[in-house]
Amino acid sequence: MLRNILIALVILVMGYMFYNTYSNYETRTELAGISQHFAAQGAQEVGAANLVTAIVVTYRGFDTLGEVTILFLTASIIAFFLKLKDEDYDSSIDHRETSELLVTASQVLIPIIFLFGIYVFMNGHLTPGGGFQGGAIIATGVALMIMANPNVRLNYHVIHWVESVSGVSFVVIGILGMVLAGGFLDNKIFGQDGLGEFGTLFSAGAIPIIYSFVGLKVGAEISNILNKYQKSQKEA
Amino acid sequence: MVTPIFIVATALGAGFAIGVLNKFGKNFTGGLVLAAITFMTFISYQWFSAFQFGDQTPEYVYTAGFMPPLSINLLMGHYEAFVTLLINFAGLLGGIYMFNSLKNRGSNAQVVYLIMLMGLNVMVMTRDIFNLFVFMEVSSIAIAGLILLEKGTRSMGAGFKYILATSIISGFLLIGIIFAYYFTGTLNLDGMIDANLSGIKGGAVAVFMIMIAIILELKPFPANGWGLDLYEGSNAGFSAVVSAASATASFFVLSKVMDIAGPEWYYYISLIGAVTFVGSNLLGIKQENTRRMLGYSSIGQLGLLMLILGFRDILGDQTPYIVFGILISHYMAKAGLFWISGIVKSKGLKGWAVIRKKPFFLFLMGTFIFALIGFPPFPSFFAKWTLVMELVKTGNMAWVVAILFGSMMEAVYLFRWFGYAIKGENEHLEDFKIEIHKIVPVWMVAIGLYVMGYFTAQFTEVGAEINFIPLAFVGLLLALDFLPVFVKNTIAIAGMLAYSYFIYPDLEGDTLRLIFEGIFMLGGILALIAGYAYKGTRAGFYPVAILMYAGLTGIIEAKTTLEFFYGWELMTAGSYFLIIRGKRSMPHGLSYMLFSIGGAYALLAGLGIAHVGQDSFAMDIINNIQYIPYWAYGLLIAGFLTKTAAVGLHIWLPGAHGEAESDVSPMVSAILLKAGVFGVVLALIGMGAENNQYTELAYALGWLGAITAFVGNLMAIFQEDAKRLLAYSSIGQLGYIVFGLAMMTHLGWLAGFSYVINHFLYKAVLFLTIGAVVMRVGTHNMYEMGGLIKRMPLAFVAVMIGIIALSGVPPLSGFTGKWLFYNAVLEKGWYLQGALFSFSGILAFMYLWRLIHTVFLGQLKDNHRNVKEISIWFLIPIYTLIAGLMVYAAKPEWILQPLGNMIAQFFPDGQLIWDGGTAISKYGQWSGSLIGMTIGATFMTVLIWLMLSTRKAHKVKQFDITYSGERPERPETTHVAYNAFEGLYKAMWVATIPLVETFWDRVTNILHDTAGFTRRLYSGNGQAYMLHIVFFILITYLVIIGG
Amino acid sequence: MEYIDLGHISLLIGFLLILVGFWGVLTQKNIIKIIVGFSILNTGINILIVSLGYVKGKTAPIIDNAVAQTGYHDVSASVVDPVPQALVLTAIVIGFGVTALMLAYAMKLYKAKKTLEINKFNDLKW
Repeated sequence: MLRNILIALVILVMGYMFYNTYSNYETRTELAGISQHFAAQGAQEVGAANLVTAIVVTYRGFDTLGEVTILFLTASIIAFFLKLKDEDYDSSIDHRETSELLVTASQVLIPIIFLFGIYVFMNGHLTPGGGFQGGAIIATGVALMIMANPNVRLNYHVIHWVESVSGVSFVVIGILGMVLAGGFLDNKIFGQDGLGEFGTLFSAGAIPIIYSFVGLKVGAEISNILNKYQKSQKEA
Repeated sequence: MVTPIFIVATALGAGFAIGVLNKFGKNFTGGLVLAAITFMTFISYQWFSAFQFGDQTPEYVYTAGFMPPLSINLLMGHYEAFVTLLINFAGLLGGIYMFNSLKNRGSNAQVVYLIMLMGLNVMVMTRDIFNLFVFMEVSSIAIAGLILLEKGTRSMGAGFKYILATSIISGFLLIGIIFAYYFTGTLNLDGMIDANLSGIKGGAVAVFMIMIAIILELKPFPANGWGLDLYEGSNAGFSAVVSAASATASFFVLSKVMDIAGPEWYYYISLIGAVTFVGSNLLGIKQENTRRMLGYSSIGQLGLLMLILGFRDILGDQTPYIVFGILISHYMAKAGLFWISGIVKSKGLKGWAVIRKKPFFLFLMGTFIFALIGFPPFPSFFAKWTLVMELVKTGNMAWVVAILFGSMMEAVYLFRWFGYAIKGENEHLEDFKIEIHKIVPVWMVAIGLYVMGYFTAQFTEVGAEINFIPLAFVGLLLALDFLPVFVKNTIAIAGMLAYSYFIYPDLEGDTLRLIFEGIFMLGGILALIAGYAYKGTRAGFYPVAILMYAGLTGIIEAKTTLEFFYGWELMTAGSYFLIIRGKRSMPHGLSYMLFSIGGAYALLAGLGIAHVGQDSFAMDIINNIQYIPYWAYGLLIAGFLTKTAAVGLHIWLPGAHGEAESDVSPMVSAILLKAGVFGVVLALIGMGAENNQYTELAYALGWLGAITAFVGNLMAIFQEDAKRLLAYSSIGQLGYIVFGLAMMTHLGWLAGFSYVINHFLYKAVLFLTIGAVVMRVGTHNMYEMGGLIKRMPLAFVAVMIGIIALSGVPPLSGFTGKWLFYNAVLEKGWYLQGALFSFSGILAFMYLWRLIHTVFLGQLKDNHRNVKEISIWFLIPIYTLIAGLMVYAAKPEWILQPLGNMIAQFFPDGQLIWDGGTAISKYGQWSGSLIGMTIGATFMTVLIWLMLSTRKAHKVKQFDITYSGERPERPETTHVAYNAFEGLYKAMWVATIPLVETFWDRVTNILHDTAGFTRRLYSGNGQAYMLHIVFFILITYLVIIGG
Repeated sequence: MEYIDLGHISLLIGFLLILVGFWGVLTQKNIIKIIVGFSILNTGINILIVSLGYVKGKTAPIIDNAVAQTGYHDVSASVVDPVPQALVLTAIVIGFGVTALMLAYAMKLYKAKKTLEINKFNDLKW
């Protein structure tokens, strides 16, 4: 009890600290700093209609590399410490039977979800969305698959390959940016003129390619994590 | 030049590719990871050497083909190159060390390790604050995963707590970053610096959150329970990498982000650093678990670095040098210790005795511990020196006190641990195995420390003057340690002779230094001759003995205060090892070391004050101290008095000298103690000698000397152990010397110096003889000896002469000293002190009598019936020294006249007048030869009369005694020497109450209780640790930003 | 009521969620609940990030018809700040990674001691 009062006090002081910050906030009426440049020049410089994507993949592409690395790290760590052997992937456990509704719906929905995911990451430079969102959508498909059939055997070799190849490709494209254009992860690897027609699928240089790889990698990574959670339940 | 972006590309490329390459097996993937790290190390090295040896200018790496602030940029400058080199090199060595641990966990673990290093590299290089956040997350997630290299719930708990804590921290960081962006419109560090974020309304809070998060990454006390668990719970190899690579990276991040915060933050960074340094090290003394103890030490060292960083405006150009010295020492030494802890596999400190089964481990461990504490020749020594000099110069004494106190605490637990390793019981412990890939990294950092130390010294003008030749000779002896005693002893003696010959021209004409150098070098050679009596290899003896002599000669040769302090610390290290070699010497070795370090820190502070307002570090700056000179001289003298064992600081001496080996006791008593005297002499000369203005200080010193003389002699009376008796006697004799010097008159100094030479001669004779006797009879207890005159007549004669000289009975040199003393006391008018001194002289008779009577006279013990005369190798130095005593007695003017001339430089008034061999003072005259002859004649008369009058007496055989029908239960109680002074004890017990011991015990207990109580904060509950962090943040907030 | 606009409201909600998250993290004993607390905390921070990018009366930073409808010539005058939106994406992904790792730890911890009480995992202390 005393402890909770203490914590309440702590939260109160923290609230006071936040209030000080809050009171210094004023709603902006126009853009300031670097964002002004992004909004004004972004479309021309990078060729992506979606400015957020332009920032995520190109201007701050290095952050995105870090992000992908974090997902990759998490998957790797989970892999080594939930420690699955090959046979675990093929093992099956008795689960409560899944409902008919879920099984049937999954059969209809999974292909559509996958398709939608691919659409989202391929059009990341045009519409809201992108590699992470698309990858996450694909992974929801995998989650649905696992829920519908808890003993489903995902081909983890494929997952690993997708994960590896898309990861390496991301780095290679980054280096290509250095060789062919202005710097690491520069999207103008086809040259300034190779940005394509603004607003179409094949535009914004390397962005759709990078985002596709990111999408595949994220999808594979999250599926991998889900799969491992599922398969290591036996031990629990 | 390979652009630094390839550090990232290599790591990620290899990391991502391993997913498909793992079918080639874990050795292949492990090799690939190491190859990648090697390449990363190469890139950093290439840049570093271009900066260090070429004229490379810092280079920005732009990403995405846009300029910052639009895109993220990396900076490769001199510091960045150095820090990434450190990170990658630690990663490489750690990768080699952990090769098998990583392999057992599979290719995924190998990849995570590689990526962690990459994350740390980017943290160092990036100039974008959000990018910094991302890569901090990369490395902390990787660390959270790698903790699980070690199996078991302990590491799991540690890992989870680590994630909880870092999540809270990164939450605050993120809030801070986004507000910083909101206020400045940029995420670029340089942009934020230009925008003066702290100056913007509301920006201060954003700065606060960023800064506090980055400070928390450095695990400040007390919000660091999670950090300790990390060090304790993870694989030893990994703890080493965290301590070396990750902590270094976090520290560098703080150094670059604090530019945003501006100077108003510097004070708080220093404050947090100081609290961490002192707090962690204080709690460290309570640790019994090695790994956790090292964790406390690591955190403490980072605190020290933070403290230094906060002072960077004040330290100016010196900052990089100081940071380098402390950082590199900690980096290498701590990694080495963690790695050793993984090989030895002992959790508790006491189990470390096992490392003696592989003796070279003691060398490694010793190297690391001495480097951490800041002994020469390691980089931290030079860095700490510079740090203290600069802080004192700028009037930051309170900070110096905090630094020295924290360092002292660190020394307490590290040397206690080292003591267990050197002396602990190890027979029941199971030997450990060494794998080649685990020992190679340890050797590399150990050798690296010496190399770095040498270069650190060359870096400054004053450090470059240091003479490393004696130290190189120590290294040579260490390399030859496998040879038999005879060879090594000859090499050592030859080396000392040669060195004395070469050094003589430098000292010619400087009588003061020649006297001390003579005592150190010639005395050292004589004591070494006794070493021929030993058989086998006597492993480890010669390097440490020569280390002590290297230090001693370093003190004499010192032209600068740095050289002096350097010699002082070498001497301390060498003598510590010598002392701890003795049986049952563990606690005494520790207390010797702690008093020495305490003394050295007092010295350091004193020399620091002396440097204020001076341009140079030349030795003569102590003759002209401009800033708080009372404090300076007080500190200097207090530092020196720890070595002369003045009362209050003496408790280490009896055990240390008493338990030392037979030929070591004279080294540490007759010779080593004079180093303290030399220091006191220098300080007193500095105080102005005849024109001394610090009369109160001298007056206090006089009383201290007199009381020391009294207490030392009194305690000597009640000893049953012959060597301890001599040890207490040394305390008393050194009290005489200090008393004489403190009078600050010509006669007082003459008396003091005559005792310096005297004490050297007779204490060496006595310790060598008694030591040799002990070697023969196998006991220190006097009541277990007796009648040895029949077996060892030569030893008897030596002791006889020694005690005559010591007690001040004419005709030997002790009388000379006494005569001078009484003259000096009368002249000075210190009657009360003089009375105490005189009474001490009487006490001296009471124990000296026992030494001859109990050991050599009386009945021979049964088990000593067949003992032989003491070894010839002891007799040679003993009789050489006796010859010296005889010359001194017969022709005192040969010694006293040059002494008088030397002292006259400082005290021209009140000199003795010499008329041939007769000395004339205000109060009378005295001639050594005349007195010798008178005494000789008297003695002969009495002897002849006795022989004539007792012609009819018959010899009593040994068994011609009865016990009146009683059979004593404890035979020693029948020995006349046993408890001989019971009556006196009843009268004097008040004076023997171990007040000083009680005082120091109290101090120790208070420290231990404080540490024991405070560390309960670390309840082990992850939630409590989060609460600590939040508390830490809020309290700092209220302090810095306020209400 | 110029004070109560969208920016202020969402900022307030963000801060409140952070406080709620902290409350959960600091008071709940169950590890899963602590992880939920962190999720709330992260959500709060993410809302904070997005709301700081808010510009009054502007549309999403995607150059399409919606931008044209705002009636400004210049894109920079018609969209909200795209940078926080890019950052929040990264923050979400990092949050996801950390949460996944925490959950994996929770599984391991539960397996080791058959409990999820956080105060049971204090093998290392002092």
